[in-house]
Formats: sequence, structure tokens, C-alpha cells
Amino acid sequence: MPTTLSASAVPASLSRAERLRLWAAIRVGDAAALASRLAGRGSGASIRGQVLTRLAPDAFAQLLQGRRVLAVSGTNGKTTTTHLLAAAVRAGLGADAGRLVTNADGANLHYGIASALSQRPHADIAVIETDERVVSDMIAHARPEVLVLLNFSRDQLDRHHEIKALGRAWRVALEAAGTAGPVIVANASDPLVVWSAETAARTIWVETATTWNADGTLCPACGTVLRREETDGRDRWLCPGCGLAQPVASYRVEDDHIVLPGGTMVRPDLQVPGSFNVSNAACALAAAVEFGVPVPVALAGMHTVTAPAGRFATAYFGRTRARLLLAKNPAGWAEALPLATSDPVILAIDSVAADGKDVSWLWDVDYEQLVGRRVVCTGPRAQDLAVRLSYAGVEHEIEPDLRAALGERELPVDVIATYTPFQRLLKMAGLR
Amino acid sequence: MSPVEIVLVYQSLLGIYGDRGNAMVLRQRLARRGIDATLTVVEPGDPLPATGAVYLLGGGEDAAQVSAVRALKADGHLFRALDDGAVLFAVCAGYQIVGETFTVGDNDDVIDGLGLLDVTTRRGPERAVGEVLSTWTKPDGTESLITGFENHGGFTYLGINARPLARMEIGIGNAGDGTDGAVQGRVLGIYPHGPILARNPELADHLLELALGRELDPLPDPELDELRRQRITAVRKAGLRR
Ligand SMILES: [Zn+2]
Repeated sequence: MPTTLSASAVPASLSRAERLRLWAAIRVGDAAALASRLAGRGSGASIRGQVLTRLAPDAFAQLLQGRRVLAVSGTNGKTTTTHLLAAAVRAGLGADAGRLVTNADGANLHYGIASALSQRPHADIAVIETDERVVSDMIAHARPEVLVLLNFSRDQLDRHHEIKALGRAWRVALEAAGTAGPVIVANASDPLVVWSAETAARTIWVETATTWNADGTLCPACGTVLRREETDGRDRWLCPGCGLAQPVASYRVEDDHIVLPGGTMVRPDLQVPGSFNVSNAACALAAAVEFGVPVPVALAGMHTVTAPAGRFATAYFGRTRARLLLAKNPAGWAEALPLATSDPVILAIDSVAADGKDVSWLWDVDYEQLVGRRVVCTGPRAQDLAVRLSYAGVEHEIEPDLRAALGERELPVDVIATYTPFQRLLKMAGLR
Repeated sequence: MSPVEIVLVYQSLLGIYGDRGNAMVLRQRLARRGIDATLTVVEPGDPLPATGAVYLLGGGEDAAQVSAVRALKADGHLFRALDDGAVLFAVCAGYQIVGETFTVGDNDDVIDGLGLLDVTTRRGPERAVGEVLSTWTKPDGTESLITGFENHGGFTYLGINARPLARMEIGIGNAGDGTDGAVQGRVLGIYPHGPILARNPELADHLLELALGRELDPLPDPELDELRRQRITAVRKAGLRR
């Protein structure tokens, strides 16, 4: 049963001392952010959050209090889906759109979330992108009404080691929350997501158009090799060992359309490209409807989303016009590569902590699909990419310097970058 | 002559760190020398060929390790192929499962491995994560640097029938004991995962020479030399800070 969009949040119950401490911490954080901005070091959001959570360690939980929370998590598509969901809810709120706060910049750890919330103390509806590692805390502290779980795939294994451990933490948190826990909107096509959400009191399943199956080989519950079967022309997974199977979904993605629970097909008129974004939109739509936004209103809202935190943005570097695509892991590359159609295409690779220090994933990406086009390899790990491309038979040149790689080009180029070079590109283009 | 068959074993179970790169590298290094080679990718449920020249095992999570051991024992072809002179190269989790025993799960359950290498693996005191550098002494007595990336929670101890593959310069390796990997006949294992053969062409060619029983001509590759130079410099610089 959808909730009422207009319902107010339960006010926060902080003691006077807690309030004062939080208020003071926010002021100091704001000052640090301002100093950072004046020094030309970006928006200062990150430094604000760090200062704030150092001075008020409970800021994350306290700032979430008194708000109705919708959270979004998963390995890929979090930022875009958060933007789509926020736009849908904003459209639903109409003149009251100012009630909504969101961490639009993609800062999705405790301090990034706290930073965004601290800027809008009176916004009582929060749409929050949440890192996979923060989901358990989000469930425990924020009591979100809706939690969207998109997908789970290998990502920065030098930090996360085993993706299944994260899923286990979600199960524990959802079980502890019981019937007071969030309504889950989850990707039925992803076995690890299904297993992770199994302990939730209520789940709305969305069957997505997932193409990356390499991390869904084994049953997360019992370790048996999963079987994939076709029923009614649709691919479903099931476990011959324990019976865990793809749940029957309420929402389905089919040929870039979304099939609604009643069977009606709608075409989301999105300005973000790719069929994976239709899957993201289907999850956002299900969450918005659950929150009380009518389908046409939600779709109209989602239509306004163009370049979430710079993803898919068109930017200018001197004379060069470039479209910026972000890819952080093999599943992300599988989505981004078909969108990059320019010749040459520029690929930027780095390996600092935010990118994952281990670049062995380069060999899990199907760069062979670029055969026949030219690639400009750039970023600190351009040489690793170059060797990979040689083995793939893709013609390439190496220009480690990002700005030089962009050059002064007559024709538009597509750029796919890992996290750090992507952020640098946004900064160079004045987009953040 | 029939093509040289490279067999990539259970990519979907043991391929989490770009391990298919090793298979691509082996096949291409043969092809670049005009030697006909095929790549056979075997998934669980399908039989392994017994005709392979080099078999490859990669990295994977605990449950995948247990499934892989069970499937390989039931299949049996890997053991037959090794009896017939094939080469087995296993990295990371694959290296652990070719040994006598290894542990999985929060309770460190001891699992019987394939018993192809005289090594045992137990949970280590710390997780070994990072770029590594070691020295491998080639059969002709010359030395070659091995550059790669390790990420493992298990520590591996060698029995009397296995000898270390490399001498550690930077990183944890087998068990922080100054060695990495193990060799026993035509079975080789080592911790750096994924496309270790892409970064270490001499090791790749060694596997091929073992399998073919003859020496191969060198393949000059300045791009690869530059990558090795960069990684060796980077890991030594970072190693000083460890
Ligand atoms: Zn099962």
C-alpha cells in the first residue's frame, strides 16, 4: 500500500545538548567548506562532512532523524537512480518540492550524507544515495521507508574482498529491523540482491535487463551452481540445491519499456542513455509509486534528469567537445562501452584508492568490441590499458596526461573514465 | 600437428580477478610465433578436455573454491591430463585449491584440495593486499622479476615435495616467509592473481615451453617492457613506505 506523499516526518528527538553540539559542528564544517572553496579546491562538501562528523560523531544518525528517508544502494547506477528518484518525488511534491533533500553529488559515505543533510535542516524528505557499506547503518539509524537495492557485482576487491559479506550484513540489518524495516525495491534478476533482501518484511521485485551475470554463478545461500531457465521467453535463475529462485516481479523491463504491476507498458522518456538506465528508472519508479507518487507524475519528473553528478554530461575542453562516461568496474564498463561510439574513443584509467588499486579488472572488460576503432589511452595506468588493448587487437596510442589526450579535436569524442579521472574531467570542465 | 590447447577452467567460479587474461596471453604468445593454438573455456557442469597443454585456475571466493574442487574431482580429466604431461598454472584461490588442504568460511573449515601441490593453506594473521615484486630463478639459472597484485587471506606453507617459485622482495607472498608460489613437477602456483602472465611474459613463455617441450623464440615487446618498468618502479617506491 503506497504511503501518503504529503505525510510529515516524525520530528527528531534530540536533547538540547545534542542539538547544540550538532549545530556548532555544522557551523565549523561550513567554515571549512568555505575555506576549501575559496582555495579553489572544489565544493568543500567532502571536507565539511569530515569536519562535521569528527566534531559530532553521531551527526549521520542525528541528521537523518526527523526525516522520511528513501535510500538507494547497489554497485552500479546508485547516483543516477538517486537523481531519478529524487526528480520523481520532487514532481510529486509539486509546490512543496523544497521539502526534499538529496546527496546529489554522489558523496554516499557517512560524512558525505551528513554533509548534504546539514545544508537542509528543514527538508523533511530525504532521498539518499547510500554506499553498500553504509546500508546497514542506514537501516538501523534512519528507518528508511523505502530502500532500493539495484545490483551487486565485483568492485574494488582490494577493499571489499568478498561482495557476499556485504549482502550478509544487509540480511542481518533487515532481520533486526523486522516489520519496522523499509519496504525494499529490489532487482529480482540479481541472485545476490535477492538473497540479501530475503529477510525484509516486504519487497517489491523489479525484473531488470541485466547483462552482467559473471557474479551470479553460485547460489549465495548454499553455493550450488545456479541454473538459468527460459520460461515464457524470459530468462530466470534458480538454485537446484536449495530452491532459491528468481522471484516473480511486480515491475519488469522489456525492450526499453517498463511493464507496470497491472500489465500496462510505459516508455520512460529518459535523457540519460542506455538500457541499464531504463532498469534504474524502473527501480526509481517502483520506489516513487510506493512513496505515493502517481506513475505519470514520476515519469515526468524523471524526464528532467540529464547528467547526474556529471555522468553522461557533455563538456568542452578547449575546442574539444566530449561526452563523459563513468565506469568503475567490469559491470559498469559493460554498460558504458556500447555507449561510447566515437572514433577515437578516450579511455582514462587510474588506480588510487577510489578507483581500486588493482587494475586486473581490465582483463574482465570486453575491449575486443573496440576492434576497428582507435583508442587514446590516458591516466596514470594508461600503459596497463595499452597492453590489454594490444592483446585485444585494438589500435591505440598512449597519452598519460588527461588534458593532452583530449587535445583540440574537430569531432566530438566519448570519454570513459574510472572514478578519479572522471572527477578531474568534471573539474577541468567546470562542472563541479 | 594439432593446435596447442589452452584450457581455462571454470572462469565463472575462479575468474574474479581478470584471470582469463592469463589464457588470452598464452594463446596469443603462441599465435604471434605462428604456432596454432586454441582456447577452451570450460564451465562447471561441462567436462574438461583431457587433451589440454596448459590448464589455468584463477581466483574466487570461498564457496567457489569448494564447488570447483568438487567438480574437478568428479570430472577427473585434469588429473589424467597432468599424468599425460600437461602443465597446470594456478593463481590466488586456484593456487590454494591445488594444494593438500585449505580453509574456508568464518569457522575456518578445513577442505581437502586437489592434492597436486604439496602445500597447505590456513587463515593468515592479516590479509595480504597490494602490489608485489619477487624474483623467479628460471630453469637456466638466470633471474626474472615477477610483478603482480596479491589479495588473499590464506597463508600457504610448503611441504617437502614442493619448492618455492619465487623469492619475495615486496609483499607477503606465501606466508610472509620471503617466498611466493610453489612448483612441483609441471604444477605451478603463485599468489599474484589475474593477468600475472600479461605482466610477466617470461613466466608465460616458461609455461608454454614446459608444455611444448622445446624452447620458443623471444618476442620483443617495447610496450610490455615499459609497463614492467613502470610497475617495478612504482612498487619499489611504495615498498619503501610499507
Ligand atoms: Zn542454493
